[in-house]
Amino acid sequence: MTQQTPPNRGGKVSRRDFLKLMAAAGTVMTFVPFVDWGKFLPNPAGNVSARAKVELPNGTQANAKTFPVNSSQAVIYPKTGDIALDKESFRTWQFIRLPEELGGNKNDVSAFRMYSMVCLHLWCLWKYWPDPGRKRGECPCHGSMYDPLTGQAFAGPASLQAPPSNVLARLDLELDNDENLWIKPPNWSPNGNGIVGYGRFLRT
Amino acid sequence: MVVSLERENSLVRFLRWIYAGLERTIFMGLKFTIPGRFVSPLGFLGMLTFVLFIILGITGALLMLFYEPELDRAWKSVQTINDVIPYGFHIRNIHYHASNAMVMLALLHMYYQYFSGRYKIRNEILWVTGIILGVLTILEAFTGYDIIFSERAELAISIAASLTNSIPILGPQMRDAFFGGGFHDFVLRFYAFHVFFLPIFLLGLMVVHFPRFLVFDVPMVMAISGAIMLTGGVFPVDLGTRFDPSTPPGITVPEWYLTGLYAFLRTMYDKFVTGVAWPGLFIFALLVIPFVDRYKKFSWKDRPLITAIGITSIAQIIVTTYWGFYIDPDIKKALLERLVIDPIFFYLVMLLLVPLSFGFTYMMIKLAKNAEANAKLKPKKPGGKSSINLPQKWIYIIFIVLLAFQVYLNISAYYAVLNGMKNLSLFIIGIIMLVFAGMFHIYRHGRSMAKAPPPQARPSVPPTTAKPSPLPPKPAATVPSTTERPLSPPPIQKSTASQSSSQTSQSRQTSRGSLPGETKASNADSVPSTTKERDS
Repeated sequence: MTQQTPPNRGGKVSRRDFLKLMAAAGTVMTFVPFVDWGKFLPNPAGNVSARAKVELPNGTQANAKTFPVNSSQAVIYPKTGDIALDKESFRTWQFIRLPEELGGNKNDVSAFRMYSMVCLHLWCLWKYWPDPGRKRGECPCHGSMYDPLTGQAFAGPASLQAPPSNVLARLDLELDNDENLWIKPPNWSPNGNGIVGYGRFLRT
Repeated sequence: MVVSLERENSLVRFLRWIYAGLERTIFMGLKFTIPGRFVSPLGFLGMLTFVLFIILGITGALLMLFYEPELDRAWKSVQTINDVIPYGFHIRNIHYHASNAMVMLALLHMYYQYFSGRYKIRNEILWVTGIILGVLTILEAFTGYDIIFSERAELAISIAASLTNSIPILGPQMRDAFFGGGFHDFVLRFYAFHVFFLPIFLLGLMVVHFPRFLVFDVPMVMAISGAIMLTGGVFPVDLGTRFDPSTPPGITVPEWYLTGLYAFLRTMYDKFVTGVAWPGLFIFALLVIPFVDRYKKFSWKDRPLITAIGITSIAQIIVTTYWGFYIDPDIKKALLERLVIDPIFFYLVMLLLVPLSFGFTYMMIKLAKNAEANAKLKPKKPGGKSSINLPQKWIYIIFIVLLAFQVYLNISAYYAVLNGMKNLSLFIIGIIMLVFAGMFHIYRHGRSMAKAPPPQARPSVPPTTAKPSPLPPKPAATVPSTTERPLSPPPIQKSTASQSSSQTSQSRQTSRGSLPGETKASNADSVPSTTKERDS
């Protein structure tokens, strides 16, 4: 058996082949922008384009005149009406009226905060504690603590995480003429309202 | 009563017709042997892994009938499978333990190929696909234990999601794609990955990964299945606690194949570096190692550097796996304090393991070479390997005893199920499998003894065959007769194009040189019936 030299590969593309390749590549490139790449996989359920009521657990809309200072409620957002989906942690938000020393007695939006209840550490549900001396969000699982003013973790394992994973996602609120509270359409990105369970960059 | 393929009835003719039709399919390209005697399972660990994959597929499909991939119901449906559904406990336990066994066997398979040097020189594609298969296997096992949605699963999901999120640039998009938004999506998506995407990838890669020579050893497959059931009976997998976001979870660690990664994460160093970059680097190193290994020889003794690297990796895997499990038992300390591993200590130990492993490898090679030299100096024993020679009568007796034991076990398994002792029944079924493996082995032994020629003076085995020869990996172990081995052509010479012709010549050779019938039979397995007819 004599050893045969391998056929010379590379550098020898005929003009016809080259043009065929260009035509094929051109066709592909023409259609690529029209295909909505990668939009299939993310779940669009979280995208809300209209403002929504701040609906308290008792079914009423939160009102700045009646909601007590230094208290909190769990709010479902975006609400679907599906029992299983509405129980989901990632749709659970903590609606807080700040304590007096942080400006909670003002009758405008600045007195209210709405943070994702999903702890940034391992996704337990934290909660606001209004007791004197506490007045902070606390996670029952590993003891992360959150500042109600900014949503930043200041103690516990969540505080050790690098930004944006140390600041809770928050929703922007607005008041109407009757001083009812509404949730503005969110922008789910770390630079906007943040991402539930992952965090937000704190704008200074 | 006697089922014989010798007698031509319509069923046999139908089976023969199917067999002849298979000649046109891909299966005939594979050389598929059922060994006629005991061969080391190290040579066909890959096949065993594949058998486990099939077992997992079957049990998994059965679990799919009752599992509900829905946030609220996932855990409850698993509980129903475990407690209410008839045989659900058995199927779930087999599924769980087979997944662990598959990861373990895949690891063993990889390291055996690594140290025996079979992963290089024309086997690079097999190696690279094998590494990808291994990674996918771990992902498959990971998604499997997550969809129970217990506390432990939630912990694993949240860590996996935050690791994916930590990847620069692409991370957030990947997290969105793989995990969706929220627990409901996670469960559903992990389910989809677990039952469809990953298995389909695995199957596709397996088509590439399969070598042309396959060994299906019935007793070993039975023994592995038996061991899985036995383990399932002794250590039945628990349900864990249902995940409740408002109650503090107990301390949980992930499955054993991920505790190594968990140990790195627990150093609380940057998530991307510890959780993505280090394992990524490890996988990358495994992928490129056959191209880095420039040794001309194959034995681990002749490739000191590569062997040392392999030993180092094993040492580090063992240490990190153990460390990941270990949590300071002192409950007076804060949780974080108990969990966090001091990174300086941790990485120092990892570094220290490198010279230790290199030294260990050096010592082992030195010892092995010494032993080799000593063996050369001493006169060889005439017999070579010692073998157990049971008289025929005893084979019958042992076989009957095992059969009776088998009947007893069946009855006890039946009563165990009747009495609701699920663990015990699973355990006994495991023993049934093991006993069956033993019976098959004795049967095989008896058959080979019946067919063996009268004892004659064996020529001493040439030393070249004693070494782990790199070229014919699996058939070397399966070619049964030692006396005829030099005559039979090395199987690697056969290329796919000239396979049928070379097989014909091989079978001609076997008919000329009077081989024991057993070899003939194993050849006849692979040679299509047409060639046999032509030959005779």
